[in-house]
Amino acid sequence: MSPRSRTLIVTGAGGVGKTTVSAALGVHAARNGTRTLVLTIDPARRLADALGIAKLGNDPAPVKTQPGLWAAMLDVTASWEAILDRHTEPEIATRLRSNAFFRAIADRFPAAQAYAAGEQLADYLEAGAWELIIVDTPPAGGGIDFFAAPNRMSELVGGRVLRFLTGAGLPGRRALYRFTARPVLKVADAVLGGPLLEDLAEFLLDLRTLYDGLTMRAATIERYLSAARVIVATTAQPSAMREAARFYDELPGIVVKPAGVVFNRVLPAEWIGLKPGMPSNGFTPEQAAELRDNLRNWAAEAHRQADARAELASQYTTATATIPWRHHAPTTLDALADLITSSDGLAVLTGLD
Amino acid sequence: MFDRKLVIVSGKGGVGKSAVAASLALHAARRGKRVLCIGMTDAIGLATHFGVQTLTYEPRRVHAGIDAIAIDRVAALDEYLHIQLRVPKAAPLRQFTKFFEELVDTAPGIREIITMGKPLFETWRTTYDRVIVDAPPIGQLISYLRAPITVANVVPTGAVRDEAMRMRMTLADSAQAGLLIVTMPEELPVVETIEALNDMGDEALIDLLGIVINRVIYPLNADDDAVGGLEDGPLKDAAVLHQQLAEEQHRWLELLPDGPRLPHLFGLLTPGEIAAALSERWDEL
Repeated sequence: MSPRSRTLIVTGAGGVGKTTVSAALGVHAARNGTRTLVLTIDPARRLADALGIAKLGNDPAPVKTQPGLWAAMLDVTASWEAILDRHTEPEIATRLRSNAFFRAIADRFPAAQAYAAGEQLADYLEAGAWELIIVDTPPAGGGIDFFAAPNRMSELVGGRVLRFLTGAGLPGRRALYRFTARPVLKVADAVLGGPLLEDLAEFLLDLRTLYDGLTMRAATIERYLSAARVIVATTAQPSAMREAARFYDELPGIVVKPAGVVFNRVLPAEWIGLKPGMPSNGFTPEQAAELRDNLRNWAAEAHRQADARAELASQYTTATATIPWRHHAPTTLDALADLITSSDGLAVLTGLD
Repeated sequence: MFDRKLVIVSGKGGVGKSAVAASLALHAARRGKRVLCIGMTDAIGLATHFGVQTLTYEPRRVHAGIDAIAIDRVAALDEYLHIQLRVPKAAPLRQFTKFFEELVDTAPGIREIITMGKPLFETWRTTYDRVIVDAPPIGQLISYLRAPITVANVVPTGAVRDEAMRMRMTLADSAQAGLLIVTMPEELPVVETIEALNDMGDEALIDLLGIVINRVIYPLNADDDAVGGLEDGPLKDAAVLHQQLAEEQHRWLELLPDGPRLPHLFGLLTPGEIAAALSERWDEL
């Protein structure tokens, strides 16, 4: 079954405003009559308030003040509960839930969070209730993890460690108790202590039961990700730019090349190279000098931003869009929608035009 | 804050922790200290602030008095096993290392303890006077700081446990180690900083040296009425933007405890220029 919905994935470094951009695109699309779901990861309080989604979870809820818009917020723990229920027997699921290793993986392993987001996306797509699904990617691993997670998760569950502990082939539980006979593991045993390795192997045997179901599901998720339109959000800050470049370098090898990059917090290009005039009236010479210096400062920033945009666009021959620098984050639906209409080229870049 | 041997610099992603870590290293080196700067999660972020392409596990002289490295998990694991745990050379280590690499994805605390190990080994050694760490984002860092306790809980006996306990002691020793949190006056970084402080609560994982507030925009002297009276055009637009950003920042600054403030540097300077400019602020403070 191939889902009818389109998927738009907004990725990028932390702190560049991708959650805000995702929400703004959602409002924009809904106002243009597209039934839209936004899956957000960890919205800032004011943004969550703007959408009225303070208490959201994995179940999409309609945004009351915006017809045509639904929102969901990733609940990793709940997603993994569902993954266990789906892919293994109740008895093993219960044992895994209370296992310290499993909790450590589900809570902290970056691929586990990213994989949960992928499972949610697949569920929403297959529900067929939305024409457009917008995904704000989890920050872990700089966002690349979201795309690499399906594969990494099957590898982990496939038990590379387990094979190492017990040898090739699908091991029976008895094989575990012979494992310390292997010379490599004698070292491991001395360093780590035998009980840890035994606990670990028991855990991995349980986890192994997820393998068939999870691997098939992971392949489906990967197919959905490859069919999605991916846009990269960034600011001109060097660290954010490096992350943006990574998506262009690495994503084509995993799923798909990004469709374009959206620069947030952009200053007016007409400030570049401007000679500041004198303020008209009523300013002391000191104030006048300060105001002119201020424009020079911001113009210098505008200049470096333009250089950064040009460099990325030419290096990766990609489309760009810009969103003007607002002095504070949007706190209403109108302000969110305005972000898209005041942008240059974002509706085209995202295919929402 | 300048007398601890080990300074761990963390904060939300994108607030400029690598720049602050590099600026502290420059400051310490100017005062005659032998400095090691460690990039814990990525080799490039810190490197660019020293004007080099990348860093490896081998110390590289990046500035007079400053060596820099980046954590390479395989190399760090090797050092951990051979030198710290004294696993004999004759042991089938190549295979063991491979196994261990797989293990770090699975067992809680192991990856963190290996990464966290290097800054601590260098704190125990005498090669350097200062070890300055460009650490993972604050949310992740807490699990690194807790890793010695996590490991002690799952590993009942043996060398790994003993080593973990020693790490925990050094991290918690306010004469030797401290944490510097970098933030900036915006909603998410401020909220995350406050959450991290609450999260660590009274666990006494590490002494908090302070909260550095980066990229602060100071209001213009011209008051808002005067700015509003400017005729329309770029002069006014830039002044209005500046004043509104300063006002918005002020709201978030009020929620943060006092701490050193570093100014927004206009013109998005190169990473090397940013680190140098910030280090001059440390000289003044």
